[in-house]
This record gives sequence, C-alpha cells and structure tokens, in this order.
Amino acid sequence: MDVLAGLASGFAIAFTPTNLLYCLLGSLVGTAIGVLPGLGPPATIALLLPVTYNIAPTSAVILLAGIFYGAMYGGSTTSILLNIPGEAASVVTCLDGYQMARQGRAGAALALSAFGSFIAGTLSIVGLMVLAPPLAAFALKFGAHENAALLILGLMMAGYLAGASMTKGLIMVALGLLLGTVGLDPIMGSPRFTFGVFKLSEGFEFVLVAMGLFGIGEVLANVEQSTAADVFKTRIRGLLPSREEWRQAAAPIARGSLLGFFIGVLPGGGAIIASFMSYALEKRLSRHPERFGKGAVEGVAGPESANNAAATGSFIPLLTLGIPGNASIAMIFAALMIHGVRPGPMLLSEKPEIFWGLVASMYLGNVMLLVLNLPLIGLWVKLLQVPYRLLAPFIVVFVAVGAYSINNSIFDVGTTVVFGLVGYLLRKLGFEPAPLVLAMILGPQLEASLRRALIYSRGDFMGFLERPIAATLLACAALMLLTPLIRRVLTRKFWQIVGPVAKPE
Amino acid sequence: MVRRDAIAAVATLALGAGAAVAASKLPFGGLRNPGPGFFPWWLGLVLLLLGAVLLGQALRNRASATGGAARPWKVVLLLAALAVYVLVLDAAGYAIATFLLVVFMLRGLEPHRWPLALTVAVVAAGGSYVLFAVWLGVPLPAGPLAR
Repeated sequence: MDVLAGLASGFAIAFTPTNLLYCLLGSLVGTAIGVLPGLGPPATIALLLPVTYNIAPTSAVILLAGIFYGAMYGGSTTSILLNIPGEAASVVTCLDGYQMARQGRAGAALALSAFGSFIAGTLSIVGLMVLAPPLAAFALKFGAHENAALLILGLMMAGYLAGASMTKGLIMVALGLLLGTVGLDPIMGSPRFTFGVFKLSEGFEFVLVAMGLFGIGEVLANVEQSTAADVFKTRIRGLLPSREEWRQAAAPIARGSLLGFFIGVLPGGGAIIASFMSYALEKRLSRHPERFGKGAVEGVAGPESANNAAATGSFIPLLTLGIPGNASIAMIFAALMIHGVRPGPMLLSEKPEIFWGLVASMYLGNVMLLVLNLPLIGLWVKLLQVPYRLLAPFIVVFVAVGAYSINNSIFDVGTTVVFGLVGYLLRKLGFEPAPLVLAMILGPQLEASLRRALIYSRGDFMGFLERPIAATLLACAALMLLTPLIRRVLTRKFWQIVGPVAKPE
Repeated sequence: MVRRDAIAAVATLALGAGAAVAASKLPFGGLRNPGPGFFPWWLGLVLLLLGAVLLGQALRNRASATGGAARPWKVVLLLAALAVYVLVLDAAGYAIATFLLVVFMLRGLEPHRWPLALTVAVVAAGGSYVLFAVWLGVPLPAGPLAR
C-alpha cells in the first residue's frame, strides 16, 4: 500500500494554497497557449522557466507540468472552431472536429474532447503512479554501461521520431550533444571550446538556448508570414453531446487513453504521434470508415484522449530514468536541475514529495481543466481574436527580461537573440529544434557515462555487450538505425487509412 | 527541397569538420582512458557522416523546390531591432528600450495604429517590469529614469 500512502502525502502537498494556485495558474496558461496558435508548450515553458527560479521545486514542477498537459486540452479548441491546430498534437482533430463544427456540433465536439482528455489524463496518472515506482527501482541497478546505452537509445528515438527526416533529426541530436560539450569536461573538469570567452567555461546556459530557439525563433518564423484567422462565426449551441455521440465516443476514448499512454512512455514518442496513431486506429476499426473526415465523433474523441494520455505518460521516463522524451519535458527537466534536483531513479526515494506532489496535482489539474474548458469555452474563443502580431511583442519581451534575470546579464540577452537566429535558420532548413534541446541537456550525462563505462571495461566495447540490459538497449538503438523505411511505410499507411481527406491547413 | 537540403548538408559537413578539428587539439586519451577530446571528436565524425547522408538524399530526391520566405525583410528588420535593443539596453534602461522595441514591432513591422501600438507597448514594458523588477526583485537596467 505504498502507492496509497504516497498519494495521500502527495495530496497533502498539492492541497496547500500555494500549490493549488500554481496548479490553477499552470492549467490556465496551458489552456491559453493551447488555444493560441503559434505558441507551443515548449516555448511557453522556456519563457516561464526564469519565473520558477524563485519558487520551491515542487511548486515549479506543478506549474510547468500544468502548462504542458493544459495545452493538450486547449489545442483542440482551435482545431474544432478554426481548422487550425492550436498546437501540433491537435492536427488530426481538425479533420473531423472542424466538420462537426460546420454541422452545428461544435459544442459536442469541444465537450467530447474535454471529457476524453479528462478521462485519458486521469487514467494515465493512475498508470504513472503504478508503473513509475517499480521502474525506478529497476533503473537503480543501472551502471555506467546501462546509462550510456539508455541515453543512446533515447536520443536515437528522439531524433527518429522528431520530424520528417531521420537524418535531420539525428543531425540535431549530434549538434545538441556538441553544444553540450562546451564548458567543463564532465570527468576531468578542464575547460574546452570556450574560445577564450570566460562566460562559456560553464557551458551554454540551457535556458538561454531554449528561449532563443523556441521563443525568438518562433517569432522570427512567424513574422514573415501573416496568418489571418477567421473564427467560426456561429454561436456554440448545445454544449452537451447527445447520448448517441457518447456511445460512439466511449470506446475511442478508452483505446486512445491506452494507446496514448504507452506511446507517451517511449522517448521521442509523445502526444503528436499518439494522436495520429489513434486516428488511424479508429478509422481502421470503424464499421463506417467513410464517415471519417466528415465529422466522425470517433475521430475527435480518440486522438484528443490519446494526446492527453501521452502527455502524462511522458513523465514516466523523466521521473524514473531521468530521460526527457520531448522538448516540453526537457524544460521541466531543466527546471528541476536548476533547483538542484536530479530527475532519475533516485528522485522517488530522495525527493518523494516532488513525485507524489506532482502526481496529486495532476489529478487536481485535470479536474480544473475540465471545469476551465467546458463552461468557459466562450472566453477561450474570445482569446482567439487576439492576432499573433499582438502576441509576438509579449513573447519577445518575456524572452528578453527572462534571459536577463538569470544572471542579470545583458550578454545573456544577446546570446538568446543569437540562438533565436539559429532557431529561425534551422526551421528554414527543415530542421526540428526539439531533439537538439534534448541532446544538449543529456550530452554531459552521456559523455560521462560513456567514458566511465570505457574506463571500467578497460577500453573494451565488449563491456556493453556482456551486460544484458545494456546490450538489449543498444540492439534496439541499432534496429532504429536500420529501419528508417518502416517509418515511411507507416506514414503512407496512415494517409491511406485516413484516405483522401484534405490535409489540415 | 534539393537546394534547401543541400545547404543543410553542406552546413552539417562544415560543422562536423570544424568540431573534429577543434576536438583533435584537445587531449584524446585512448579507449582505456578517454580524454576531453574523445567525445567531441566522435561527434564531429558522426556529423560528417550524417552530412554526407543528407547530401546524398538531397541530390537523389529532386523533389519540387520550396518557396523562400514570404517577407524576408521583416525577419532582417526584427533581428536588427533586437540587436540594437541589446546594445542600448544598459544605456537606455529596460523600460524605455523595451517600450521602443514593442512600438517598433507593432508600428514599424506591422501596420497597427499608434494608439494600439502605444498601449500594448506600455502594457508589455510596464507589466514585465512590475513582474520581474518589483515582484521577483530582478535588478533590471534602470537607465536615465533612475537619475
């Protein structure tokens, strides 16, 4: 009954007024940025990282996690009402959600995605609660070899699953690892790649890089194109779905929750892939696949549940293995590191209050989000009328003041602008910056465990193959390299199943 | 596509070569006792390899070329404005510099009306000042306003 005792202690932490406030704040901000197209969860969390420096680590994690899963709720709103995904994980929701809205069922679509998200989110927290402790206990046995192998597999998956091209994803990983080597050597402590700049001897500040790549980079990419969005004009009538719609949605919500959770646990998996796979699955299982793309309830309920379940599931590798699986989780990883808390197998035993406080706050956050999203939907629709052009200055200002506040240094603001340019160029060249950020934060760990492993086994690479766990992990990593084809087949398969539905946007 | 990916591939190759050369100047150690140059040297090699793969893919898939930036001058202008902002931040102070930056973004880059631009600028500069300087106690550059 460790779980129940832990959960009870967690609720005691989450129910303090301060933490309730941060949980509510996270849910509000998350919904808002989920609704607003052009500002994603990783960018928002990066922008808010400096604010969390001054609050307790548990509260910081509660706030940032709330933003992350809150965005999954908000993202569906724009997809349904505007045919524009509020964030990437809601792309498929456009296909049927917008059609439902055009048929006068916008309210039902919004309600089903909110309820689906709530059910999926809550089920996944149960999964997180039950699976994380044994997994962490297992990971405690890992030595340098296992850690290095696990990090290699995690980074390979992040590069593999990030964008359209595996080669480009892996280039981002290698580049991120390289950025991570700037500063002090993790074993000897001697400086390298500082180019005589004293400030670089501690390495690039992760938060500055992330704020530049995600914050400034996104603004730069957005100013060159003007997007005028027309909000769906009709009033939202009949917020509650009919009994028939509930019946149709029940199974997709259950399947989406399960599928999303397990995809979320995989590094590099996450909400986007989960929602796409759920859509394909529902269409495949449906007796009337021709209804998809024309306002099928299943095509909204399934993916919206899946992306929420995946968001929650992706906390498992962070909290048990210390491996962030996507860019948003990497930001939360960074927030913990800033507070001197090392996410990983030790977290559960050394800082149980963070783990259980977070788990309990997620239960509360999902309830808050359900309340925030259903009765207040009109308010969020109003928010949509704020054009991105007005939002951009606020993002820039927040990045500037946030970057400055870390070390009270104007040089840091300049660094962030430079990384903003880098982020813009990467986007222009078709690269996805998320794997770079992941690799940068994991680089020093990978290098340290790789070098330690080689020292232990006296320079013999067989050391990796003689340890069953390390060997299995490396074999999986090698398999990933050999199968870029599978991905192409899967993508084609997805569009085959989805059929000749117009792609969103 | 072909040009964009080819540029990306060449940039990757250059970065990989640069990393390998820079790493080779650090003590490499050996497999038994890898030194500071060991990991970055291998990364440089991996980048070279991936750059070559990407170049091969770019030359093989002669798919349709993608359009460039729709309004590239806006990106250049905004970057220039940000550079100026960083340079004058200390002298002008946070509030004034930020106010001017936001006014420029809304009035110079976008065709917003003066009243809207000025209002948003006051809210953005003032709000962030209150949040960070007053509430979080960050010593933001005060500039001439303090004197």
